[in-house]
Amino acid sequence: MSSTSLSSHIPDLDLITYYAEKQGSFFSRVSPWTKACLLAFLILLITVNRNLLILAGLYAVVLACYVLAGLPVKKLVAWYALPVLFVVSLIGLMIWNEPGVPLFSWALPGFELTLTDNGVLLVVTLLIKALITVTYSLFFLMTTRYQHFSGLVSRLFPAPLDQIFLMAYRFLFLTLAMTAALLKAVWSRGGGLIHSLRMQGRLFAGIFALVFIRSFERGERVHKAMIARGFSGSYPHSGEVPRPGLAEYGVLAITGALVTAAIILSPYRGW
Amino acid sequence: MTIIRRNPEAPHCPAVDHARELIHVDCASHTYADGSVGIHDMCFFVLRHEIVAICGPNGSGKSTLIEHLNGLLLPSLGTIWVNGRSITGGEQAGLWKEVGVVFQSSDDQLFAPTVLDDVMFGPLNMGLSPADARARALGALTTVGAEGLVDKLPNYLSGGQKRLIAIAGILAMKPLVIALDEPTSDLDPVHAGMIEEIILDLRDRHGISVVIATHDMDLAARIADRVCLVRNGAVFAEGVPEEIFYEPALIREAGLKLPGIVQTYLDYCTASGAAPISRPLRAAELTMALRMLPRDKNLE
Repeated sequence: MSSTSLSSHIPDLDLITYYAEKQGSFFSRVSPWTKACLLAFLILLITVNRNLLILAGLYAVVLACYVLAGLPVKKLVAWYALPVLFVVSLIGLMIWNEPGVPLFSWALPGFELTLTDNGVLLVVTLLIKALITVTYSLFFLMTTRYQHFSGLVSRLFPAPLDQIFLMAYRFLFLTLAMTAALLKAVWSRGGGLIHSLRMQGRLFAGIFALVFIRSFERGERVHKAMIARGFSGSYPHSGEVPRPGLAEYGVLAITGALVTAAIILSPYRGW
Repeated sequence: MTIIRRNPEAPHCPAVDHARELIHVDCASHTYADGSVGIHDMCFFVLRHEIVAICGPNGSGKSTLIEHLNGLLLPSLGTIWVNGRSITGGEQAGLWKEVGVVFQSSDDQLFAPTVLDDVMFGPLNMGLSPADARARALGALTTVGAEGLVDKLPNYLSGGQKRLIAIAGILAMKPLVIALDEPTSDLDPVHAGMIEEIILDLRDRHGISVVIATHDMDLAARIADRVCLVRNGAVFAEGVPEEIFYEPALIREAGLKLPGIVQTYLDYCTASGAAPISRPLRAAELTMALRMLPRDKNLE
């Protein structure tokens, strides 16, 4: 048996696909079009909104949907590590010397760094925005069958962009599987990511380069196997993407109106 | 049929049986971009309703030949005919519908998110409607005994299950010929046995010709109707298993070893001083053959 799980903090694509194909909840029966539109609305809403209460409410709703869909919450918390790391590393420099009530100061030769209440608020706001997007994106992926997802991509993107997108998605599986195999080989002989990097940095860099070369070669073999079964550059779709029902159109209309109102009323309009 | 030794000087290999011939490889050569020779003056044919085993050591050209049968590779020299069409003459369109290839590594073949999606891939490429493709896929999965894996994810299957799905993916296209590259390598005995049964079933119940590239001599001895010994990119001898595998010098020349049953029988005959009077290839045949040999008191 194989799995593409490299670390508990990196989303496991096999597990995501497993939930997507299992189709175990009410949300799996919701049209992928509805879920995709809601994703677009969500991104628009969190782009124009900075109100912490509204953002926290949105996060609570998205998280509730994730939980109600029967998706793994512990895994989600572990997968938050990367977006949190991303946000913190991105705004690590921006949070200092924001106007507001100073909370903490750090004197350095030539200048002083001050953390204010607005600086903290900025971190929290951006973190919540990131978590909303990540949680909903995972919810979308884990409740939508690949067949429908690929149909959606084919309808939204023109050829050959849709094929490139779909193939790149599948290639990601190969690369992660190769990396997982490499890490297993390292661990099996007493190595560790940090330990091996410190002890045999050059060798380790070479091995990682090899992972990409091998993934590419494997991709070529997969491509060859696809050609052997008649692939001619266009991934065939085995079914239509389910259309939204009447109730779903209603939800979309209401959400659309709310988002439009939020955009019009937003003081940050025009950003 | 007797053992045929190929004449390397012959410019062409004549057809053996025009009426039954599905594939005819006529002195084909293929050289890879780095200059290494894949096949050289390869003469090979596949008849209707037969199982052909291509036997040779690693690097002898078995996999290269398999990829030529499906049009994945085209020869630099020579001609290949499939079902009366010359694929080297530009008629290779749709060849994948007639000759299916099961690759050595199932992980290279299975790429779709679910087993059903993967098995449906070929039929959908053939232009079948999703409903028909689904029916074909379910039928193929049932044939290989994997109907219980329909909704599973390929990445969570065992090696043996993956091999069954890979075969179903080809079978769903209902080709005339299925070529399997090392079909039982890396499999446990139970799954290897299942694959063996499926190969026999393909010929006997579905009327599909099967080509297997293997260095598992026991498998070739048990199921092949005809064995081709490959060395340095060319078939240098071929014949029925009873004749090929009872020529130890020929097998050594191919860089291979005798099947276990054959080796055991010949060793017993040597030890007992009896001349071999039959040519067993399967366990049941060996038991019968040993019973028929005159008893040697020294061995009792």
